[in-house]
Amino acid sequence: MDAAKPQLMDRPKAEAQHAASEASGAALVSALDAVLGVQADVALDAVPVPHRRVERWKYTPVAAWWKDVLAPDVSTVADAGCEANPVPGLDAYRLVFVNGTFDAAASDLPVHTGVTCMPLSQRGDAKLQDVDAFSPEVSDWFAGLNGRYSQEGLYLRVTQGVELDRPILIHHHTCGAGAFNVLRHDIAVALNASVKIVQWSTATAGADGSVNILTRADVGQGARLHIDKVQDEEGTVRHIAFEDIRQGRASHAEVHTITVRGAWVRNDLAFRINGQGAHAELNGAFLPGEGEFVDNHTTVDHRVAHCTSSENYKGILYGKSTGVFNGKVFVRPDAQQTNAYQQNANILASEKASMNAKPELEIYADDVKCSHGCTVGQFDSDALFYARSRGVGLEAAKAMLVHAFIGDILKGFAVTEVRLEVEHRLAEKHGWDVWNDHPNDDA
Amino acid sequence: MLKINALKASVEEASILKGLSLTINPGEVHAIMGPNGSGKSTLASVLAGREEYEIEGGSVDFDGADLLDMDATERARAGLFLAFQYPVEIPGVSNINFIRAAVNGKREHEGLEPIKGKAFLDMVKEKAQLVELDGRLRNRSVNEGFSGGEKKRNEIFQMAMLEPKLAILDETDSGLDIDALRIVSDGVNAMRSPERSFLVITHYQRLLDYIVPDFVHVLVDGRIVRSGGKELALELEDKGYDWIKEDIVA
Repeated sequence: MDAAKPQLMDRPKAEAQHAASEASGAALVSALDAVLGVQADVALDAVPVPHRRVERWKYTPVAAWWKDVLAPDVSTVADAGCEANPVPGLDAYRLVFVNGTFDAAASDLPVHTGVTCMPLSQRGDAKLQDVDAFSPEVSDWFAGLNGRYSQEGLYLRVTQGVELDRPILIHHHTCGAGAFNVLRHDIAVALNASVKIVQWSTATAGADGSVNILTRADVGQGARLHIDKVQDEEGTVRHIAFEDIRQGRASHAEVHTITVRGAWVRNDLAFRINGQGAHAELNGAFLPGEGEFVDNHTTVDHRVAHCTSSENYKGILYGKSTGVFNGKVFVRPDAQQTNAYQQNANILASEKASMNAKPELEIYADDVKCSHGCTVGQFDSDALFYARSRGVGLEAAKAMLVHAFIGDILKGFAVTEVRLEVEHRLAEKHGWDVWNDHPNDDA
Repeated sequence: MLKINALKASVEEASILKGLSLTINPGEVHAIMGPNGSGKSTLASVLAGREEYEIEGGSVDFDGADLLDMDATERARAGLFLAFQYPVEIPGVSNINFIRAAVNGKREHEGLEPIKGKAFLDMVKEKAQLVELDGRLRNRSVNEGFSGGEKKRNEIFQMAMLEPKLAILDETDSGLDIDALRIVSDGVNAMRSPERSFLVITHYQRLLDYIVPDFVHVLVDGRIVRSGGKELALELEDKGYDWIKEDIVA
């Protein structure tokens, strides 16, 4: 064998090492159970710790740090570093969670006929939705961790025909060392009801540890759920988020995700379309900077006929950053007349950045319309030269192209104030003065 | 204003400009004509700072500064403007934001504050009238879905907004019908002044009926082979480029 080539570890040896590592992980789990007083009712050991030989984790290595997640500093709790409202000017109901704890003083819960909204810990006898065979908890170790340790989150029920007048802002804030910010949001929107949710995640500059958020939503017949999801975390927290969305007949569900900042982020979305005439929409943009890692895994499962889904993810990768996109679309045998669209476009803004993109379409019905496209490229040099020949600086010209590139993603946000704040934060992160030019603003 | 001395340039190892010299004084309008492939558009691109072109020799002095030492942005801010033969479409960037960024780039260079919204919009209104640019085109994406004539009018509109010292028009007449040609030419003529110079690159004499040049140069195989007054253009129209080529060989 060529000695200059890096040698792959042989498989039996790697398996053995991984098994030993898992065994020490099990000991950490029991220790954590004891510290947090958790009854081990979720069989975590049924799900293997992710490793790179599993397709879903091929480009997302966790071997170096997954054990750290199991050994948090449990004394890390709420501090004063939390912004009261991350979105200026937003008129919304608010639930603030700091390091997994509900901050009642900073929150403003809706009092609205037909709406039950409270922190999960105060729900009393109210039941959560069932974890079933398709829930992420049974197939993903991090989701299993969430199932075992999440004790707090949003509990929301919107009854038949009710349209909540304002969006609900869920603010997840992480601070301090060794944080263990585990939350579960349990949402059910009944017949013809409608709600808009904004999930906003922040972390302080010194924060490390893990953030693990699982959102389970049941979108009933004719109901509408719209989630704007913003991730803007400083520090070095590892953030993993699951959306487990179940859709009924003629329902409409949208999740728009933007990762402004984050040392390590993985989003795992799954839409199960169980009722005819339903529409699922999932869009996202990610702009990782030097050293940042962003992974978007999505699944759209068309189980019945006459449904549509539309997916559009865009990445712009700076510095030595890494992006992952994996888009699964299942069209099951009964899902005739499905119309599914998927697009993933990426710009490598640096020679050191890398992007791993994989569309996966599995189509078992014959009368369907499914399209997908995936591109990885650079900035359009003709457009850059055109702008520069008008006296626009190179960086400003690139910023203009970025704004145009992710413009359709930003426009998808349900809440205008969220979009404006996201634009502001992106401009601040990347130094894009040109974004702040709105010619009609001060006219 | 502009002094090009023995300029040599190549692209992908193919030599295009082979020692081109040209001097343009303030207020003058020069036309460059020539057959296809003679290097007309290369000259425009090289002067505007397109990086794909390799400069292999010669010098270009622009208003006392070394033009070849500046990047494309700096050249534009120093007062050089190129009206593109094929204006670039930039989906998602509104025409008005684009020109605002350009105006503010120039103002930054001059040590001025970014332009105020009201002043900017007044300026847009005034300059758009010059080329009869439809108001709805201002808010559309840059050149996206514009007709050939609209794109060229947009180029002249941008030129009017930036008020350059030297404007290079690269085959601005291509793809224009007679009405659009008149509108574009009127816009250019309205901007002629004793301080501003133009370099008009064209394949056909027709444009020069509308924008009357002080000098006409014929570019063949990367060199200017003949210069004269505006009557030279008529002679070319009459006899074709082969006449000049034969003349050179002979």
